Amino acid sequence: MTIYLKKFGTLLNGRMLGKEAFAAFLPSLKDVQGNEKIEVDCDGVDVFSPSWGDEFLSSLINKFGDRVVLKNAQGPSVKSTLEFLEGINKMKFKIED
Amino acid sequence: MFMKDMKNKLLTIKQAADKLGINPQTLRRWDKSNRLVSVRGENNYRYYKKQDIEEYIKNNLDDILKMARNWVLNDPGIEPLSGFYCKDSAVFQARLTRLRNELSKTESLKDKYFSITSVTGEIGDNSFGHNLGNWPDIMGIFFAYDLKKRKIVLADRGQGVLSTLKKVKPELNNHLDALKTAFTEVISGRSPESRGNGLKYVKHTVVSNEMKLFFQTGDAELQIKESDFNLNIHKASIKFRGCLALIQF
Repeated sequence: MTIYLKKFGTLLNGRMLGKEAFAAFLPSLKDVQGNEKIEVDCDGVDVFSPSWGDEFLSSLINKFGDRVVLKNAQGPSVKSTLEFLEGINKMKFKIED
Repeated sequence: MFMKDMKNKLLTIKQAADKLGINPQTLRRWDKSNRLVSVRGENNYRYYKKQDIEEYIKNNLDDILKMARNWVLNDPGIEPLSGFYCKDSAVFQARLTRLRNELSKTESLKDKYFSITSVTGEIGDNSFGHNLGNWPDIMGIFFAYDLKKRKIVLADRGQGVLSTLKKVKPELNNHLDALKTAFTEVISGRSPESRGNGLKYVKHTVVSNEMKLFFQTGDAELQIKESDFNLNIHKASIKFRGCLALIQF
């Protein structure tokens, strides 16, 4: 399954909104198969704040572990926030080109 | 002239002065010189149309920091002018989007408008996140920007950093240490949630993007600037309960 972040908006900010976005998307995740990869496509996201990113991505990773893979994560805001979260949370995101 | 149905659109001279952050005597002087004209009530007291005050402020954005500082110091607290008031996070999100749109049109900011927006977003979001359901008097934040002067100001009359962090780090007993903790340690004032990184991100982004930040809470203030990882924390000359931030870019 692919999750297109831009469908949540191009300015993704705020812990509460990140949490809400994940909660709203949960029903769409119920049909994910056992080994299915979860691709998170970051294309088109203009402003990606760590509060939103942490809430959404951490919840996703807690649920699906290393099956979560990020794509199109080269945008400057996305890239810098992912690097920051990796440092703060002492982890590495799986990122594909 | 002074009609009952206009009452809710009028401000007393004290209310108008508070919104402008000036003395009522100054308003009387401005009235006489036609700089900002009042409406006389049935009692012959001066009243001011809310719209006139809002227009005046929009046209005289000479110091949004001063305006915000006056707002956090007002006693009793009053709501800021509607143009600068984000009562809840939905309003803030809408205005943050407008700021992003305006910044992104500036050619010289094309490499950093998203950083400016996300720093602004994190500071505003922090105010809402830490005070939701616990605002001491006026809920929401003051949020104004002056793109010509490249300044963004945010302020809240919330609990302040010390009070918030004390819940998870009870040994904190002054604003200076609380401010340092907020900008350096991974600690959440929203325990039992384990996360708290908004202000660390703000510091990191300001230092890396030719920006400057002034931040005050209680009687502690800090200044962060490009390529300087020092927080430059010191005691402020005035004290208030919430938070005040100035972002320059």
